[in-house]
Amino acid sequence: MRTGVYFCQVNDQIQTNIDAIAKYSANLPEVETVQNLGVKPKISIKNLTENLRSNNLERVVIAGDMPGYYKPAFTKAIALAGGNTSEVRLASFQEHGIQNGSSLDRAKAIVACATYGVPFSLAAVPGGNPVNHATLVIGAGIAGIQASLEIANAGKQVYLVEQSGTIGGHMAMFDKTFPTLDCAACILTPKMVDVGQHEMINLMTMSKVVSLRGKPGSYKVKIKMKARRVDINACVACGECVNPCPVKVESEFDAGISKRKAIYIPFPQAVPNAYQIDEEHCRYVLTDGEKCGVCLRKCPKDCIHLDEEDTTVDIEVGNIILATGYDLLDVSKIDQYGYGKYPNVLTSLEFERLTNASGSTGGRIVTKVKQYNKKTKQDEWVFSPEGLPPRNVAIIHCVGSRNRKYNAYCSRVCCMYSLKFAHLLKEKIQNVNVYEFYIDMRAFGKGYEEFADRIRQEGTFIIRGHSADVSMKGDQMFVRGEDIFNDRLVEFNADMVILAVGLVPSPGTEELSRMLGVQKDIDGWFSELDYNGNPTDTDKGGIYVAGMCQAPKDIPDTVAQASAVAAGVLGSLTNGKGIGSMSSLSLSDIEEKAKTVHAL
Amino acid sequence: MAIRVNPSFIVTLDKYGAEDVQLCYQCGDCSTVCAHANEIFKFPRKSMRQMQMGLEQKIETTIEPWLCYYCGQCTEQCPREADPGETMMSIRRWLISRYDFTGLAAQFFKSKTMELLWVGLIAVVTGVFLVMYGLSNGNIAIYDGVGAFLPSTFVHSFDLTIGGIMAFFLLINALRMWYFIMVKGMEIPVPWWLYLKEFLELPVHFLTQKRYAECDDKLDKKVHMPWIIHFGLALGYVTMLILVMVFLVPLQAGPEINWSVHIFGYLASIGLLAGTIYFIRHRIKKDEIQYQKSHSTDWLFVTLLFFIVITGIAQHIFHRTGFHEWANVTYVVHLMAVVPWLLRMPFSKWAHIVYRPLAMYFAAIQESATARQQKFDDTLSVTIK
Repeated sequence: MRTGVYFCQVNDQIQTNIDAIAKYSANLPEVETVQNLGVKPKISIKNLTENLRSNNLERVVIAGDMPGYYKPAFTKAIALAGGNTSEVRLASFQEHGIQNGSSLDRAKAIVACATYGVPFSLAAVPGGNPVNHATLVIGAGIAGIQASLEIANAGKQVYLVEQSGTIGGHMAMFDKTFPTLDCAACILTPKMVDVGQHEMINLMTMSKVVSLRGKPGSYKVKIKMKARRVDINACVACGECVNPCPVKVESEFDAGISKRKAIYIPFPQAVPNAYQIDEEHCRYVLTDGEKCGVCLRKCPKDCIHLDEEDTTVDIEVGNIILATGYDLLDVSKIDQYGYGKYPNVLTSLEFERLTNASGSTGGRIVTKVKQYNKKTKQDEWVFSPEGLPPRNVAIIHCVGSRNRKYNAYCSRVCCMYSLKFAHLLKEKIQNVNVYEFYIDMRAFGKGYEEFADRIRQEGTFIIRGHSADVSMKGDQMFVRGEDIFNDRLVEFNADMVILAVGLVPSPGTEELSRMLGVQKDIDGWFSELDYNGNPTDTDKGGIYVAGMCQAPKDIPDTVAQASAVAAGVLGSLTNGKGIGSMSSLSLSDIEEKAKTVHAL
Repeated sequence: MAIRVNPSFIVTLDKYGAEDVQLCYQCGDCSTVCAHANEIFKFPRKSMRQMQMGLEQKIETTIEPWLCYYCGQCTEQCPREADPGETMMSIRRWLISRYDFTGLAAQFFKSKTMELLWVGLIAVVTGVFLVMYGLSNGNIAIYDGVGAFLPSTFVHSFDLTIGGIMAFFLLINALRMWYFIMVKGMEIPVPWWLYLKEFLELPVHFLTQKRYAECDDKLDKKVHMPWIIHFGLALGYVTMLILVMVFLVPLQAGPEINWSVHIFGYLASIGLLAGTIYFIRHRIKKDEIQYQKSHSTDWLFVTLLFFIVITGIAQHIFHRTGFHEWANVTYVVHLMAVVPWLLRMPFSKWAHIVYRPLAMYFAAIQESATARQQKFDDTLSVTIK
């Protein structure tokens, strides 16, 4: 088949050596012509048709970072030239995980497969290494929990590593889930208990992966377990140790809106259900045992060991699942919303904790009250159950998301949780006015649009127009915005402002990416191998991604992806083909394979 | 009335400096932070939308671009980096070319070469004419009095002629601006007496440019530096224009300094010099948003003015210190820059000296008219009830 290869790039930032690939592709069998059309070419269909006709081409390969962009033009041209429109083949570099000019050989292989008319994923099948049947899951949020349970339920060993003292992740902090308004804890906690009790799951909390050796199928992982200083097996979470502890620290689990002690349990349903010591704040640890130690004396079970030391464990696993989740963007750097300056400007997570029945106000939505702090001798704003409920609440969407200065991408969940907030506010406070300032309403999932509709009908003021201005006049906060559909500039009183803050990869992503050799995409999330066809695999064989750490997604998608990962892992354990890295495949291997597939 | 859409409008505006309009996703952040946007005049978001939609005829009749003083807040806030501030600036450039009936302004804005060619041509013609005149009637060694190379009475009438041509074009353009904004663009009736009622706005804004000062509303800084500098520049400019057009004869007399006239000249020169240096410096440094993107016309505007001020000061010094030949030479060079500068005025950014106060005046009338209409509508709805 007479084939023509055309190179068209969309993104001029990506530095792929097109010339080298073009030279290579010119030597492929049946390739008649190779042309480099450059970056963002303006394609004239007439000229292209002439070109195809003069070369008498039967097949066209468009190669580039996003060749699909130019497919319509080529299809039209080949039709005009009298050819078969199904013979326009795409050689997409981006789709197969080539970023910033990495892996020239793979790019060549992609072009080669396209010229043979063979799908790349059929020709490039890494494999061969025998697989250890144990699996390591990094991160025990809903994604890690789901994937662990799926694998463990199939009877395979799982090591579940979690950095904090409890599993559950962000979902444990939530009050309700959208769009069904189910109680998040009711869905999550049974799964957490399952994880805690499962004989096939080896749960390692307060632990971190520190190094990785070996090859796909048999990774040797070193895990550092931070000293919990409380014996998990002996502690019954009676809580006797908490009251005497003199140290008060902002609670991470409560998103900083309440205080905890230096010996604490993140929340009552934590798994493992045991206390832990915050060694960065514990007075005994900080003074090397010279001061304090009251908890030791109070503990009826003698399970506190303040002198416990960190340990490291070496394990060997066949597959690794990354489920490291996300973090909120640091919103204090976006100063126009007054976060940190005005007391009642909250991030979404803070509000989530405020409205949660297990939160510091018992689920009452109140504004902060001023309280005198004896230690610092200053007034500070705190949430207390005696606070007044807000009369007017503004919810601002897209804070830091879809913003070229912070996150260019959409965080995907903010629209829906903001609508959920409106519902919770309306449900808990009578006659509250809720203003949603949005840019575009992204209610894309099953039942989401209906949910948005329901919130609208509940009487929430949904304003098409983003606000960039929260100000304070006297004691009253004002939110200024443009009501675009109504063609008015508006200014509302607000007693509380909730910022739908964008999501960023969790802080350890960078380190893990380097340690494991997994690529990250332009926004810092882990790169999947192929966005459409292989959304759970990574470039590196035997390492998978699940949940938010791949890209922002909601809970249903996260759970689905976690289960999908488990299927991939279990498949690699049972199919007998072994696993290998995509990056270890050589060009000639793929070529050979493509030729055989082509011959079939 | 249906509005015709011009799909390639946005491409046209590209030449005027609006490069990133398509990036805008209409969040309204810019309107929110703008100190000048209010209930009646909402911008820059709306202007961005009109551009995206290609509503050329609508933008032609809008006053909003003239109410923007480019403090850069909107551009700083813009989550899309669509640069609303520069877009408003570009619409102003385009509006200047729309008000101009000759089409010259459009050429100047679209083509740097065209503009330089025109300026150069007029400069050369002026220079040749002045030198021929000087050589035929006077002596290069005499600056003023009998046998002067360029006698003050001659220069005075020359100035008045050039000024007259400039005023003629400017007046027509201003009339066209009035027609676009107040006739074509008004959907509600404007009674004639509103023009009288709001008339004071015109001199007030012309002399104080006080809306520029209001730009700092949202800024932490108490004083809006660009406004002060601009105020000094404009004041110096108008003073100098009056001196040249009315008091040229005593101004040129010398060599002793006639303080009753020259003191104004000195003060005006200080304002002009400080202003042009400030703006050139910031345009080079690009340290603030409003100076980051400079259109070729912006450069010509500041550099030519700076050149005029420098040569003007130089010929004055040469004259007073006895270098009469040098004084005459720099005077010719000075006028070679002044004439294209003046003739270019109705077709360039320069014209905002007239359009800005007019726009404030029209805006005040529109606001009054809208309020009046609102009142009228209210009474109507009551009677229906």
